[in-house]
Amino acid sequence: MRSVKEKRPAGQKQYYRRKKVCKFCVERIDVINYKDVKLLSQFVPERAKIMPRRISGVCSRHQRQLNDAIKKARNIALLPFATE
Amino acid sequence: MRNYEIMFIVNPTIPEEEIDKINAQIEGIVTTGGGKIEKIEKMGKRRLSYEIDRHREGYYVLFVIVANGDIIKECERRLRVMDPIIKYITVRTDEEARRLEKIRNYRQKRAARRDRGATAAPAQSIEEAMQ
Repeated sequence: MRSVKEKRPAGQKQYYRRKKVCKFCVERIDVINYKDVKLLSQFVPERAKIMPRRISGVCSRHQRQLNDAIKKARNIALLPFATE
Repeated sequence: MRNYEIMFIVNPTIPEEEIDKINAQIEGIVTTGGGKIEKIEKMGKRRLSYEIDRHREGYYVLFVIVANGDIIKECERRLRVMDPIIKYITVRTDEEARRLEKIRNYRQKRAARRDRGATAAPAQSIEEAMQ
């Protein structure tokens, strides 16, 4: 979350990896609903595993909510548990 | 009384009227138990993400209701015994809604404060409000 606040001056630190920011914090998505398949499917890659935080950059609070939502969605067959 | 969402999947091969009949039954249980129906949404046919009892497709129906535990228990029991129901899920939503409202209120207050000319409040306090 703090990373959202920090604004790097343009041109500086360009050799470093881009700082990842939490999509939900940036876009002010307050509630992660299990019915929103389009949103959730962005966080379940091919194998249908939940994308880890270190890759997606989601903050811990939102990752937790995302986890719950994905698991609910799986339960009602909106998302797969595993593919092949 | 609490807010719940019941979502269930109906066998897509049965005719539309049957689905309406199921909906009416559930509605009956809720209203006779003293609950309130806020929304019935037929979300239509969808491919299931995985096979359930040889079904690859399902007809999704969503109920948004205000009810108590007994009503939910009865609804779930009925859904379990109904043959065309493939699967169901019940989710409690009031806690989530309350949290959302709190955040909204906070944002509004903050926006109002900013309008009066104060510079942006520290971003850190949003997080506190969200908890």
